Amino acid sequence: MINLTINGKAITAPEGSTILEAARANGIDIPTLCYDKAVEVYGACGLCVVEAEGIPKLLRSCSAKVSEGMVVNTESERVVRSRKIAMELLMSAHDGDCVAPCQLNCPARTDCQGYVGLIANGEYDAAIKLIKNKISLPASIGRVCPHPCEKACRRQNVEEPINIAQLKAFAADMDLKADSYMPDIQEPTGKKVAIIGGGPAGLTAAYYLTIMGHSVTVYDMMDKMGGMLRYGIPQYRLPKEVLDKEISIIEKTGVKFVNNSKLGVDYTIESLKAENDAVIVAVGAWKSSSMRTPGEELDGVYGGIDFLRGVIQGNAPEIGEKVAICGGGNTAMDACRTAVRLGAKEVYVVYRRTRAEMPADKLEIDEAEEEGVIYKFLTNPLSFNGEDGKVKSITLQIMELGEPDASGRRRPVPVEGKTEEIAVDSVILAIGQKLVQGDVSELELNERGNIVADPDFFTTSIDGVFAIGDATNRGASIAIEAIGEADRCVKAVDAYLNGQQLDTRVPYISKRDEDTIDYSDREKKDRINPKVLPADVRNKNFDEVSLGFTEDEAKAEADRCLECGCREYYKCKLLNVAQRYDICPERFKGEMPQKYSHDENAFIERNTSKCILCGLCVRSCREVMKLSSIGLMGRGFKTDVSPAFSLPLDETNCNNCGLCVQLCPTGSLTEKFNLPKQVPLDEQYSEEFVEIDGMKSSVIVSRYNGKVLRVIPNDEVSRNSGLSREELRKLL
Amino acid sequence: MRIVIGQGSCGIAAGAEKVRKALLNTNINKDDISITGCIGMCYLEPIVDIYDDNNKVTRLVQVSENDAETIAQFVESGDKSLLDKLIVSDEDSEFLTKQTRIALRNCGILNPEKIDEYIGAGGYEAIKKALTEMTPEEVIDVVKTSGIGGRGGAGFPTWFKWNAARSSEGEEKYLICNADEGDPGAFMDRAVIESDPHNLIEGMLIGAYAIGAKHAVVYVRAEYPLAIKRLKKAIEQAKEKGLIGNNIFGTDFSCDFMIKAGAGAFVCGEETALIESLEGHRGMPRLKPPFPAQSGFWRKPSNINNVETFANIAWIINNGGEAFAAMGTEGSKGTKVFAVTGKVKRSGLVEIPMGKTLRDVIFDIGGGMKTDKDFKAVQMGGPSGGCIPAELIDTVIDYKALGATGAIMGSGGMVVMDESTCMVGMAKFFLDFTAKESCGKCIHCRIGTKRMLEMLERITKGEGKEGDIELLEELCYSIKDGALCGLGQTAPNPVLTTIKYFRDEYEAHIKDKKCPAGECSDLIEYKIDADKCKGCTLCARNCPVNAISGTVKNPHVIDTDKCIKCGKCYTVCKFGAVVKE
Repeated sequence: MINLTINGKAITAPEGSTILEAARANGIDIPTLCYDKAVEVYGACGLCVVEAEGIPKLLRSCSAKVSEGMVVNTESERVVRSRKIAMELLMSAHDGDCVAPCQLNCPARTDCQGYVGLIANGEYDAAIKLIKNKISLPASIGRVCPHPCEKACRRQNVEEPINIAQLKAFAADMDLKADSYMPDIQEPTGKKVAIIGGGPAGLTAAYYLTIMGHSVTVYDMMDKMGGMLRYGIPQYRLPKEVLDKEISIIEKTGVKFVNNSKLGVDYTIESLKAENDAVIVAVGAWKSSSMRTPGEELDGVYGGIDFLRGVIQGNAPEIGEKVAICGGGNTAMDACRTAVRLGAKEVYVVYRRTRAEMPADKLEIDEAEEEGVIYKFLTNPLSFNGEDGKVKSITLQIMELGEPDASGRRRPVPVEGKTEEIAVDSVILAIGQKLVQGDVSELELNERGNIVADPDFFTTSIDGVFAIGDATNRGASIAIEAIGEADRCVKAVDAYLNGQQLDTRVPYISKRDEDTIDYSDREKKDRINPKVLPADVRNKNFDEVSLGFTEDEAKAEADRCLECGCREYYKCKLLNVAQRYDICPERFKGEMPQKYSHDENAFIERNTSKCILCGLCVRSCREVMKLSSIGLMGRGFKTDVSPAFSLPLDETNCNNCGLCVQLCPTGSLTEKFNLPKQVPLDEQYSEEFVEIDGMKSSVIVSRYNGKVLRVIPNDEVSRNSGLSREELRKLL
Repeated sequence: MRIVIGQGSCGIAAGAEKVRKALLNTNINKDDISITGCIGMCYLEPIVDIYDDNNKVTRLVQVSENDAETIAQFVESGDKSLLDKLIVSDEDSEFLTKQTRIALRNCGILNPEKIDEYIGAGGYEAIKKALTEMTPEEVIDVVKTSGIGGRGGAGFPTWFKWNAARSSEGEEKYLICNADEGDPGAFMDRAVIESDPHNLIEGMLIGAYAIGAKHAVVYVRAEYPLAIKRLKKAIEQAKEKGLIGNNIFGTDFSCDFMIKAGAGAFVCGEETALIESLEGHRGMPRLKPPFPAQSGFWRKPSNINNVETFANIAWIINNGGEAFAAMGTEGSKGTKVFAVTGKVKRSGLVEIPMGKTLRDVIFDIGGGMKTDKDFKAVQMGGPSGGCIPAELIDTVIDYKALGATGAIMGSGGMVVMDESTCMVGMAKFFLDFTAKESCGKCIHCRIGTKRMLEMLERITKGEGKEGDIELLEELCYSIKDGALCGLGQTAPNPVLTTIKYFRDEYEAHIKDKKCPAGECSDLIEYKIDADKCKGCTLCARNCPVNAISGTVKNPHVIDTDKCIKCGKCYTVCKFGAVVKE
């Protein structure tokens, strides 16, 4: 036995063993992407380098043997620097998406591709479970979310994005119809968390903290939970019955709800802090913003969310026959469409830019128009004019579009001397909302008047008090933004409860350059939208406008998904190593070695642009299987793994043993699985044994949601059996 | 009287074969006409040596086939004045007289295709001595005393490698000659094989005896057809004489020879990649350890040396290790061959004792710059080496001293540059080479060299940005540390040394978007100085894109929008009126 020291730890290792073997045997993890004990050492990736005292060069630990008295450091500054640059170089030439752009653009990182794919496969149970990993109110959010996911959806480069939000609502509605999915709750931790605010942020935090075993109480000033989802979104868009059902599921997990309890009146942050191990402030933004236009104080001028809340609570303010809504966002749409439903005859939307610049959802803009709303584009209120203290008309400044501003939208500029006056009975200001500052006076606020919360740790000026959602930092945003913060905050709070600190920054992810993607081979298929109530029916009541997807519609729509994300995301060794070091491959951005390509047979899919040339496939095919069905082609940067003479794999002597796929450290070689739509899923792998021709043989079985997805040969017998994957599956 | 025509590849390229044919068509006795290899004065080819009966030589240079008759007249009349225009000048003669030739001792003198000439000059005496008078250990001792280091570039002690291979267990061992000379600008090995193949064979036989190998292999690039042809012939002749085969000189020592023509991958000059290629695999380096001495060709103990190393061995055995060690410096013994090229006046092969300076080679022997521009730098060791600037011209030729500059001794490529060479462009040229020649196995080399090249391309296009130099340096050091083999580990050297000595040139490209040497076409503009222009119209007539306008005897003007910066006008102008800015 040889005595040596690794990272200050004295260990012994058999003579002739490598440093890598010695380290692994002692629980010291050295990253490597090209080493596997099935084949001869190769030394290509250079990630396993270590530093040994007295040796000037870095050693590749996969081949360097241990020697008596050796002092090895596997994580020295020089070692880490070398690995970091190696990974930066590698990722700069790795043309692939770890996850789909829809997921990346969702503030909560909801696995859109995952559940869309599962819906396409008819796996609705699995879909809702996947959704509920991130969103605890999916039926509600599916209905109201302005879906940033769809804005990133690459299908729009073919025709239109996938209807992701509606698919989410579909899966959630299916779940609400039958026995709803209930998550497993972990053993109680004995820790108590108080959450102030029962809106999307607070409820999300409550749901996931409860699942983790913490004891959670949500305090809310209103008589029911739901926050802005309940008091800011009209019934026709989100029926309160749907919200109630979803909230009741959250309650069933064991969250305690305390309603009609107001911060600063019934309790303080400090008082909650004293009774709990942690406090999360998620109070939202409940005050309508002012336009600072003369006449705002007149009777008949209402704040947008105040107006909506009044209607929802059954005490709608008097709006008369002529109503003007100021603003171009979704709250303005909610207000104008609600005004129509209340019976107003002339409903104007006053917006200083044009339709194209409106931040509201396009469907909302169109549906509002169908319902009779009149748009006054390129106008801006100069003054609200009143008589006897009541608003009577608005003087509008006519605008035109000038140069683009910081947001990229063309800046509206007044046309000198050009105005218009419209007669109104009421005005609704829907230009935004703000935090009611007095409520959170215990916390440090920023210059915008919002709570200062660390964007990654969610900590505030008081230890143990975290803050999320509309009340923090940049102020009010969309619900999914608050949900995303809540999701990350939960992890930070959980760490805090365990005496740790967790940086919730999203780790490195590989993304393809959008400009290089070719869609010319994609067949055009129109986007499917759920049917809606006819405009002349819906504008007279508060029934839900959307009728939701039928099963056939949902499946057909989900089937349009381009499947951007990588199927091997969950077990990608490359990503694992990349995330271990703080890498910035952008520094070395340049040409990609291979054109994005795709070759497949019945079992295996090859994607050469994701290949990192570790050589495991080529070597295992040659050394273990003695087939050499694939080899290395070309030189230098353009080196490529290819079947002989660049033939399709099926035309070579490949016997589909799958060993190359099994060893591939990334998604360059992947094994297809037993579902029509190939969805990236967090499969559970296990080794099992089957009998082939009277011989016991090992196979690797992957399952998801109880279903067998892949059966991969795992020894000589199964690899050489000639059995198809389907036949192997039957042997299980 | 003998008439000997220099027929190395360089001579043939310059027209030596035409000269030979023309001479054969004269009245000169055909038996008196023979060939030799390359004498090393490549800039004076074709070269014809006329030996009188006392073996005194008259050297004629830059001979053309039209001179054949004149030569024939001289042969007939003995009137030397006929040759006045052809006889080498005293100055040019110094190119050879100032050298000390060991590895090249027979080059350009003996007929490489005739073993008898080699034997006549004392050839195969050293192997005879080794086999009949010395034990393999004694041979290794002599080599140890000589202090010779590997001439492929690294200078690793030859005796040590031989000893390691000898000590390795195993009956079957291989001795391999690395003749995969691939550096741009290097041609020492080719010259030795083409001009003196028996010297190589003899050196290899001695090596094979020393390490206990029965098989000798020459790995030579297929781009050297003449070298392969002459080596093949030499092996056949040696076999006929019993110098290759079984029981050589009646001893127990047997050795066969094999030639493997490589497909021309630079990386196959790396010894483990060479072995992979020999075995018929893709030329990619193996991990070391194990070293070839333990597990090499067919996983048997193998020893690999460079051509020039072997070319010294017979001399060392004949003259003793001490004689060799008497030349050179403390750490670098013997002589070294350099292939001097570039902007130097006299380009060719130069063999000098270690310890001389770069000035000795470039100015004393090489004659300085061939242009009116100043000497700027010399690139040593090709793409694996680095540049040494003018201020370090007195650097001593010694492994350590050259290494201290950031360059390397290398295999002997010496590319001389004057003030018109852009150093960023030079680094880019070599990086382009290494990036293309990278085998693609390890990340640092495969992607790192490509990214470095891309950065250099951006910089020379005027698209460099603040921080690029630092990023390049960071990448360079990382590649040196992380690359698997010598190719990658040394690839950053041209960049690092040019940054070290010419950082201001990089900065000028990046910050001012200017190329001080006026070489990067994206960063220069051609203009006509109206005061100097005589209106001769020469430039306008030569411009391939009609970008120059003007009337006779009036100053011309270049339309910079049309100009493709080919530099033709700059070259043809007789008045220096075209300027680069």
